[in-house]
Amino acid sequence: MAQETETARTKSLPIRERSRMSGWERAQNRLGVSRLGMLFIVLLAIIPFVPPFSREDLLRWLIGATLIAAQAIAFDFTTGYINVVNFGFAAFLGVGAYTSALLAVQLGVSPWIGTFLGAVPAAILGFFTGILTLRLRGIFAALMSWFVGLALLGIARNWVELTRGPLGLNTPTFLETASNRPYFYIIFVMLIVTYVVLRWISRSQIGLAFKAIGQNIDAARASGVNPTFYRVLNFTVQCAFAGWLGGFYAHYYGILTPQLMATSHTVEILAIAYIGGRGSIWGGAFIAFPFIFLIEWLRSNLTEMPGLHLVIYGVLLILVMIFYPGGVAQFYEYIKGLVGKRRGEQAVAPTA
Amino acid sequence: MQSVEAQTGYFPGFLRQLFSAAGLTLLATITVAIATFVIAGPFVLVNAIVTGGMWALMAAGLSLVFGVMNIVNFAHGEFFMVGTLVAYFVFTPLSEYLKANPSPLLAAVAPFAGILAALVVGAVLGVVIEKLVFLQLRKRTKEQWIMNSFLLTVGLSVILINGVQIVWGPDFKGITRYWDVPPIDVFGVTVSVDRAVVFILAMVTMGLFWFFLRRTRTGRAIRAVSQDETGALMMGIDMNRIQVLTLALSSALAALAGASLLFMFPSYPTVGLKPLYIAWYVVILVGMGNVAGALVGGFIVALLQTMTSYFIGPGWEDVIPTAFVMLILLVRPSGLFGSEVKGIHER
Repeated sequence: MAQETETARTKSLPIRERSRMSGWERAQNRLGVSRLGMLFIVLLAIIPFVPPFSREDLLRWLIGATLIAAQAIAFDFTTGYINVVNFGFAAFLGVGAYTSALLAVQLGVSPWIGTFLGAVPAAILGFFTGILTLRLRGIFAALMSWFVGLALLGIARNWVELTRGPLGLNTPTFLETASNRPYFYIIFVMLIVTYVVLRWISRSQIGLAFKAIGQNIDAARASGVNPTFYRVLNFTVQCAFAGWLGGFYAHYYGILTPQLMATSHTVEILAIAYIGGRGSIWGGAFIAFPFIFLIEWLRSNLTEMPGLHLVIYGVLLILVMIFYPGGVAQFYEYIKGLVGKRRGEQAVAPTA
Repeated sequence: MQSVEAQTGYFPGFLRQLFSAAGLTLLATITVAIATFVIAGPFVLVNAIVTGGMWALMAAGLSLVFGVMNIVNFAHGEFFMVGTLVAYFVFTPLSEYLKANPSPLLAAVAPFAGILAALVVGAVLGVVIEKLVFLQLRKRTKEQWIMNSFLLTVGLSVILINGVQIVWGPDFKGITRYWDVPPIDVFGVTVSVDRAVVFILAMVTMGLFWFFLRRTRTGRAIRAVSQDETGALMMGIDMNRIQVLTLALSSALAALAGASLLFMFPSYPTVGLKPLYIAWYVVILVGMGNVAGALVGGFIVALLQTMTSYFIGPGWEDVIPTAFVMLILLVRPSGLFGSEVKGIHER
């Protein structure tokens, strides 16, 4: 491999450079996955067959972690780019979940189709939330989306005839099997799709516009970026993905309560996305795995202390915010910098 | 604090005030209150007035912290929760003791002991949090302060809720009443003594708070910081002291509200969530940094809630005010009473 292609690959490439790369490299570049990222994905794909993780209970943890990872990606797509925290994120997840579940329960729509249909109302609501929050800056937009989330949660709780409220809705699952492994591969594919699509958008011109709006909305407007369009677009895309992932939640766990839409769930995703590093897309997805395993381990071993895992979320969130705002992604860049320095001008691994 | 329309309208004097957004809202509120009184009976209105005063206290603290420290406090409801908890743990042993050896004087004073203890604990908690958390962040970076400090308060909220749950358990800790005396009669309406005292307490505290901000040297310093931080610094105002004081004051007010409403809101770990977003509704309704407006806003939101719960059904009292507040934000992003404090725009 020529040295210049190695270093140049970290940036977006001119066509001339691209033609020098092998087909495999081109695919990697298009997907936005580095070699390290590839390794991680392959590892993730085979891990359900590796002994300790092939146990059903550990598979459940793994599925939970993958779901959280995908949500963290979607969350970071808004938080890390346009710099608006969608505090009603869990509610949009719930909208997708309830739509898909109700379609299956009331109309007998297959969960495989319902999951995609669930993304539609979530996207529409996201579109309107985007419009609602337009006139508001940063924190007020976050509060507004929180209120939207609270209103949706209230509707899910109180519209008992439809959602059965806190009693919970029994939903049909994707498959008839009792094994968790097929479900892992479903959410695994969903994670990859979420990552590739959102990564692709955020690396394109659109992503650049998102970043510009997030950093300084007035300057962005002055240089011809239309904040209205991009903010609404960002919200719509994020909520569509949230709704889609919600569909998996509904048809995997088989029971759906309004608790899914509560603020505490958003906080969980938020903490993971921030610890992973905002604006990195991959940081939250990566850290979700060790983190959820740690949390689940604590939860199963310290049953007399319910809520301890949430305290850990809180403490870590505060520590990261104060002492290391870049999160794991920044740490990775730091390590990469060290390695790069030691190897001099030699090749460095591209960004994940 | 007057809106633009109010200054350029054709109406003279008080009419101008009347036809501003704030005036119209006030008129509408009073009309609705009277209608509620007639249709639903006085009990609904009494409930609205009692809780409204306490929501005003919550909102005033929230808005003060935002104005002075630029912190959007998501953990404000947890101070309320701590207040209920402290009041419960102080008042319950006292009432047990009272059952064993009755004493009318102690019976009258015991609830105040609980409320006072909550006030003190709330203030101490505020100081500790400022020193341990916000000061640390402020020392390191001021970049994107609003968003970062907001996320810190989210973390704090999670820690406080679940910490309390681990230590004291998730069960309800409540009391039926503070004062074990028959209800009193106010203009033909029976009101329990608890409610009456809580209302008076809220009004007195609000008055003292207003007086403190307007008339004392420290209060003026606090307002100066909220208006212009750099200017205040140049006038020799000790910023660290003001910031500690502000957070302590705000959390003490929230804890006071929690302790006073213990008979309506039994203490459990997530009891603070509802007061938190109600306080946010109030603040958004009247605009940031508007202490006198918080009083009116508190009553408006409380009225809206009790009405929704009465006419549409319990459970919906969160949905309808939410929709209402979203509507307000849409039409007037700086709140109904239109006071635009600098903190609204992210810097």
